Amino acid sequence: MNFHLMLAVSPILAVAIGGLLLMLAEAFGKPVALTGAQAGLVSTDAGAGRSDELALGSAVVLFAGALISVALWKVGPENLEGAATLAPYLIIDRFTLFFCFLLCLGGGLASLLAGGYLPEHNLDRGEFFPLLVFSTVGAMALAASGDFLSFFVALETMSLGVYCMIGLRRGNLRASEASLKYFLLGSFAAALTLMGGALLYGATGHTDFVGIGEGIATIGKAHSAVSAPLVLVAVALVIAGLAFKISAVPFHMWTPDAYEGAPTPTTTYMSVAVKSAAFAVLLRILVVGFGDPRLTSWGTGWPTIVAWLSVLSMVVANVIAGRQESVKRMLAYSSIAHAGYALVGVVATMHSTQATSSVLFYMLTYTVSTVGAFGALILCGRRGAEAVSYEDLAGLGKRHPAVALAFSFFLLSLAGVPPTAGFFGKLYVFSAAVDSQLNVLVVIGLLNSVIGAYYYLRVMVYMYMREPEPGAPIATPMKSGFVVVALIVAAVFVLAFGILPSSSLDIAAAAGLSHG
Amino acid sequence: MNPLAAALFQIAPYLLAFTVGALIPRRQGAAERVAIGIVAALSVLLVRGLWPSANAAIPDENAHEWKYLLSVIVFLPILGSVFVLFLPRQSPVILKRVTFLILGLDGLLSLGLLSSPMSRGWHFQQIVEWVPAFGIRYHVAVDGVSMWLILLSTLTTPIAAYVSFGSLKTRIKDLCFAFLLLHGAMMGAFVSLDLFLFFVFWELLLIPMIIMIGVWGGVEKVKAAYKFFIYTMVGSMLMLAAILFMVWNYSKLAGYPSFDYLALQRVVLPHTAAWLCFIGFFLAFAIKVPMFPFHTWLPDAHVQAPTGGSIILAAVLLKLGAYGYIRYCMGLLGGVAWMSAATLAGVAIGGGIVYGALVAWKQDDVKRLVAYSSVAHMGFVMLGLFAGTQAGMEGAVLQMLNHGVSTGALFLLVGVIYDRRHTRLVREFGGIAKVMPIYAALFVIVTMSSIGVPGTNGFVGEFMIIMGTFVSQTLGGQARLQAGLASAGVILAAVYMLSVVQRVFFGPLSNPKNKRLLDINVRETIAVAPLIALIFVIGLFPNLFLSRVGDGVSAVLERYQDSRKSYQEQGDSNTARLTDRQGGALEQGYPEAPAKKADAAPAAQAQALNAVAP
Repeated sequence: MNFHLMLAVSPILAVAIGGLLLMLAEAFGKPVALTGAQAGLVSTDAGAGRSDELALGSAVVLFAGALISVALWKVGPENLEGAATLAPYLIIDRFTLFFCFLLCLGGGLASLLAGGYLPEHNLDRGEFFPLLVFSTVGAMALAASGDFLSFFVALETMSLGVYCMIGLRRGNLRASEASLKYFLLGSFAAALTLMGGALLYGATGHTDFVGIGEGIATIGKAHSAVSAPLVLVAVALVIAGLAFKISAVPFHMWTPDAYEGAPTPTTTYMSVAVKSAAFAVLLRILVVGFGDPRLTSWGTGWPTIVAWLSVLSMVVANVIAGRQESVKRMLAYSSIAHAGYALVGVVATMHSTQATSSVLFYMLTYTVSTVGAFGALILCGRRGAEAVSYEDLAGLGKRHPAVALAFSFFLLSLAGVPPTAGFFGKLYVFSAAVDSQLNVLVVIGLLNSVIGAYYYLRVMVYMYMREPEPGAPIATPMKSGFVVVALIVAAVFVLAFGILPSSSLDIAAAAGLSHG
Repeated sequence: MNPLAAALFQIAPYLLAFTVGALIPRRQGAAERVAIGIVAALSVLLVRGLWPSANAAIPDENAHEWKYLLSVIVFLPILGSVFVLFLPRQSPVILKRVTFLILGLDGLLSLGLLSSPMSRGWHFQQIVEWVPAFGIRYHVAVDGVSMWLILLSTLTTPIAAYVSFGSLKTRIKDLCFAFLLLHGAMMGAFVSLDLFLFFVFWELLLIPMIIMIGVWGGVEKVKAAYKFFIYTMVGSMLMLAAILFMVWNYSKLAGYPSFDYLALQRVVLPHTAAWLCFIGFFLAFAIKVPMFPFHTWLPDAHVQAPTGGSIILAAVLLKLGAYGYIRYCMGLLGGVAWMSAATLAGVAIGGGIVYGALVAWKQDDVKRLVAYSSVAHMGFVMLGLFAGTQAGMEGAVLQMLNHGVSTGALFLLVGVIYDRRHTRLVREFGGIAKVMPIYAALFVIVTMSSIGVPGTNGFVGEFMIIMGTFVSQTLGGQARLQAGLASAGVILAAVYMLSVVQRVFFGPLSNPKNKRLLDINVRETIAVAPLIALIFVIGLFPNLFLSRVGDGVSAVLERYQDSRKSYQEQGDSNTARLTDRQGGALEQGYPEAPAKKADAAPAAQAQALNAVAP
């Protein structure tokens, strides 16, 4: 039985132990002796200059976590006796395993990107990698949490790592601004969620989602002490807090600044792992905790709130993204817009049984496409000349066709052009929404993806159809095996989900949550 | 008769045609003579091969249809486009040859479609499960309507590529990639019978077309590329919404989801929903056709696109809109299509045939003029479809071919003069028939075909459409009036086409820059020769083409009448329903309900338990 228990939490444990080892390696590792011009520039922290080893190590740890999740999936979490004793703090079900895989994959790819990016841009400091791994542990625990206590601990574990990773470029004002902004707003959001949890505890006497759900179900019955207004306020607070993490409009203000100021691998990690984990816990709370029919109705429940968040995210983010001059900032807004599309699927959970699966699959396709897009952006720049604006990319298709092709490929997937992963993700979400009769949301979402396609196309237009202004700085791609490997892995996934989605759809369908 | 003489007698017509063809060009080299001779001989072969009695020996056509043919035709260019990416950029010759080889092979393979007389039902059908959870299948087949469109594209794409390779010198690799991908995607869109598959190909088309306009286009190329993209994308997104809605209805009614065309045909929606779905589909197709008032992207795209791009755009891409209307608007939502036909026919006449012609008349840029003439011609095609009669529809299908052939040829010829002068403004020219006599003659022939002079292809199509409109029941009391107005459109076509011919080719040779223009060269003549041959083949022997269209069209019309009936029966009912299965050749390959699987989760659990057990 103990063995089964260990087995059940093994994805999280494995990554956590790996993170500890990495931290030891980083702390006791000798800084690389620097020579020549670099010598004075880089601080000699422990582990400095060791990015190659550490990136490889953390990627191995995270991919191992992903593999263990796959293995557990094959075994079937329901066959592990004793795993239920961890509930409600850690719920090990197929939903959790799916997210463990997804988060480890996203984290692993981000650490590969970091292995190429950090040394190139003189940020070669070892603490990045243990932070990333621990943050992923937090994200996995967040996806597994079924109780407000573990939820909050996991949320903070995840966020603290990210705060530091954003501010990695210590001397840079923008990075500090980004880090501080994210820290302040993130803490504020966490406080909101915590307040919601406290109110729910006050109303129902439970901190676990199942208990809260049962408490809410007694509203209106005789001898029920649960106060409906209190619950409604709490629901709104919890959703608002999580909306910060998934960066839905109007809680998105931090996103563009934080995404732009952070080193690109951190941006990738934030837009991929943090967002996915927040979606995981959002789904679990909404479906398990707030699954009461009265709370899933338009008049008295959360669908109205989430639908408005979704519409606002899609419309506002897409419109603003079209006006950006920086590609990185555009991708930040696009990640807000994608949160909006996924929220359509979240609204659909009110009626449709396949809706949670559709959000899961959407996050999967979004993860691989986004990692690819940021990775390609990293690949476009080199030391002292990071590719940021559209102008930097002008004419790239002619000078460096392979990089431009990779970038275009992932952008097409983000735009949802078949036969890429992004298209199937959108299709699944929108068909789930049609299933819940959210036809208006579907039409708004589809029209928004036209605007989305416009600004993704704009990058391609710059790469293939514009020539750089004479004398303007042009992007010269860096060379890094790590980034290339990450891009290849992402591309394989994008194509596989796009052309042969059948098995991954089945997996997502099996991982879905159902009401009650 | 001895065997030798018999054999000689057999090949005599081809030899004769070859000789005549080879004798026609003056002052030109052997290569051109041989190529034109070959085109002439092939035209005779086409006529002989398609002559109804020639195929009388074929007993049951479905028996020897090679079911992978369509897949090969679709995926050969798509895989080829990927292959081209791995070829060295520095050797344009290899790139061009590989592209040609693939396109040519594809063209030859597509001739295999002619082995079937295209009787009722689906031909060369192939079905493979793709995403069973969503009811998505790889389902391809052709009927009489789509077959000619496929042949049209396999003919015009190599021509467009040939022309482009002559005039474009930069970024050949990207060009080859774009051509192959575009070709494969177009084929795919014409053969798909699964709405999902159709949508995939429909979207896939966008990318190479944008590349083509945006990379090799004129001054305003980026703007034109955006415009093309935004228009098409808005249309296709609304179509996707309509598709999802219909699929959801089907899965609710039948108990299992399916994106299959045959399955969705059975869905009868409540009136409001049906109208909304129709608008979703129709907008996508009307933008592609393009119909007034959604036509404004076309002139920009045409003017900016390179010649090769314009040829493909005009010859094939626009047909996709009309084809989509036949297949999906009439096939899936026949009731609404029938209700709206009279109004839409008015739009096709007023906004397309008449307005398009009047605007074309006022254009200074020859290419813009041809682009607006496309709007007018596609107006005819759409009118034939709205009329909903056998003659009108057959005429519309034939007119699609005609428009592809003659407008393709016009763009090609406009490209010839553009390559020489780098301008297309009418006022820059005048009297150039004196320096370019062969070019002028070819241009006049194509103009005649575009106007619809008897003996050329344009006449047959337009005549049938007007005739079909005249007797149409669908259009009701206005049918006569509309037929009359459409006939006036033919006169307008003569006005704008002949006026431009007169201003460009005849009169005094005033502009000194035109004094030394070279006549059309070997390469350009070879490119335009097959199109000129087809102008006369279709014009003189239309029945060769119509005989294979008829059954397909009558099946579509029958279905159209049925759905009109079920639309009326639906009345004010607010619930969707399924019509009964018709059976027969038209439902061959229907997506049957999947075998009842045991509940998935316990099965997986059992499997997992087995895996754990030592």
